[in-house]
Amino acid sequence: MDKQYIIRGVQRSSFRKFIAWMIPWAGLLIFGVYAIYLCLAKGLNQTNMDNRFAFGVWIFLDLTVIALGAGAFFTGFLLYILKKKELHAVINSAVVIGFICYSGAVGVLMVDVGQPLRAWFTFWHPNVHSMLTEVTFCITCYLTVLAIEYVPVILKNRKLREIPSMLVFEHELHKLVFVLAAVGTFLSFFHQGSLGGLYGVLRGRPFAFREGIAIWPSTFFLFILSAAAVGPSFILLTTWLVSKISKKRLVKKNVLMLLGKISGALLIVYVLLKTIDTLVWINSTSPAVGFPAYEFYSRKPFGTWILFTEIVVFGLLPALVLLSGRMRAHVGLLVTAAAFACTGVALNRFVMTIQTLALPTLPFDPFLSYMPSWQEVGAFLAVIAYGVLVYSLSFRYLVLFPQERELSNG
Amino acid sequence: MFPWVYGFTWDAGSIVFLGAFFTVLAVLVATLMKATLRAVNDVKLERTECIRWKSDFHDLPAAAKKCRHEFTGEFAHRTCDNNFDCRDCATHAKLMSEHPLVVPENAEDVVYGFTMPLDRMYHRGHTWVRREEDGSFTIGLDDFASRLIGVPEQIELPPAGTRLRVNGTAWNVKKQGAAVRILSPVEGEVIEAGDPQRGWFLRVKPLEEKPNLRNLLRGAEIRPWMLREMERFQGLLATEGAGIALADGGVPVNDFSKAYPRADWDTVMGEMLLEP
Repeated sequence: MDKQYIIRGVQRSSFRKFIAWMIPWAGLLIFGVYAIYLCLAKGLNQTNMDNRFAFGVWIFLDLTVIALGAGAFFTGFLLYILKKKELHAVINSAVVIGFICYSGAVGVLMVDVGQPLRAWFTFWHPNVHSMLTEVTFCITCYLTVLAIEYVPVILKNRKLREIPSMLVFEHELHKLVFVLAAVGTFLSFFHQGSLGGLYGVLRGRPFAFREGIAIWPSTFFLFILSAAAVGPSFILLTTWLVSKISKKRLVKKNVLMLLGKISGALLIVYVLLKTIDTLVWINSTSPAVGFPAYEFYSRKPFGTWILFTEIVVFGLLPALVLLSGRMRAHVGLLVTAAAFACTGVALNRFVMTIQTLALPTLPFDPFLSYMPSWQEVGAFLAVIAYGVLVYSLSFRYLVLFPQERELSNG
Repeated sequence: MFPWVYGFTWDAGSIVFLGAFFTVLAVLVATLMKATLRAVNDVKLERTECIRWKSDFHDLPAAAKKCRHEFTGEFAHRTCDNNFDCRDCATHAKLMSEHPLVVPENAEDVVYGFTMPLDRMYHRGHTWVRREEDGSFTIGLDDFASRLIGVPEQIELPPAGTRLRVNGTAWNVKKQGAAVRILSPVEGEVIEAGDPQRGWFLRVKPLEEKPNLRNLLRGAEIRPWMLREMERFQGLLATEGAGIALADGGVPVNDFSKAYPRADWDTVMGEMLLEP
């Protein structure tokens, strides 16, 4: 039915099967949009957040998808600036994933602000000394970059490229994509850093507060490094997942192995620096403000196990696997390590958001617990459903994996 | 954000932060403007066909981009990086001067049952060109492409006066719902349109008195090229599950797609006629 819109030489499921796949996700999106509507129409009382627990599942989601979406900027940087040609095989998919992650994050932030009609205030009256202002500016700018990078991918559609003006615009824009890659790298560097920095500067939250260099706390650099490390892992993981779901070979194995190797090299540096940072924090930063670090881990469920799990199980372990050529050659281990690395960064963002806010900071403060309301979960799920829908449509009608045709023809 | 907006101060923070922001915006706007202006220029200068071919060539599988000198054994492996335009290829010029092609003795060659007359030149997209006495060119489909397309559902030939470009669209055909364009082997102005019954499709007046035809295959190159093309064709048919094919013996039928309707002819025609 829609064969004339699908690129030549690749096999896609029947239109009916595709619609059957899309319907449940569309249903989930509708449910999420209703939850978002309630939050916007009735206010943030629809959530379980309050003035003390102001960051919840939405901020956790934002931080996680922005970290995972770093695969877009980092792959672009490696391909267009450092000329790692092998990554041409996944760059289109990385752009789509980046676009989904950032547009999803911006969408949820609009709900989180609670007054989306006044969102422009942050641009019109910026507090230039705020990390959050930098994040807002960089994320919106980078989303614009990703949207522009998405345009040539869309214009490569079989039907669209029959229109001469679309064809030449795609050609000319693609020639300038290295500029976009450079701008994206610049923006990502700062907003990934500022997302970490905004926790590191919280003097009133000794669990998160860190010393650093000049105005940048150590978390600024750790967030950049962790995002760059797991970005390629997330691209690897999604490529493998799409390959399994579609039952197609999408890229050559060496591409997956290269992504794993890059991820592993950055991850081991991150784990090393994170370990040093944690030791400095335990022995110096935290005691200096009157909090022995062990106290932070005395309230269940946030025991020391969480620190061990984050740094060793989801940090050191996958880094070692990804760095070993022999283990990388085993697809099962490669994918598991990539999944562990992604889980590690998600756990880090969870700890920085939820654990930071749950812990008391004054003698009369209680230990807070927080469970998201169904409206919060609904908005969270809407982003997931939106991502699956956009990616599925892109996979069906666009060229996300240029090697697929060659691989499917043996 | 601006000096006249409430809250703005002329301090280092504001200048650095907003300066960086406006620089990024300026770069993005300039990039989009540049791409748009270049695209408008391309359309004005009629470069669309050239861009389409470059894009198509880039997307062709490696097996379809082999250098013609690999067919003749001058290279073990070589992929064309010149969009099949040997007119500008220094390697081709050098090799042709060192080893000029042997003039064939026969009037035609038969490869796997496909008749390839040797009084004409062939384009990699399976069209042929013959120079007529009045200096015009006649363009037709070779025996392989004729059988591949068979009886088309629709043929869109360009009207007289249309300018053709090398590797640009010469004409379009539709077969089993799949639309495919036939690439022009030469540059020139269409003076007459033919049809399959007449054995040719277009007559073209060249733009120059002595047009450069180095991009076209001829003489001793035809056989090895066709052998490679058959390999590619059989590979595609094997993938598409057509069943028994040329490699299993027999002679080619007149209309491949009619004989094997279950195969994905859209893909096969696209790949063989260089429109991926």
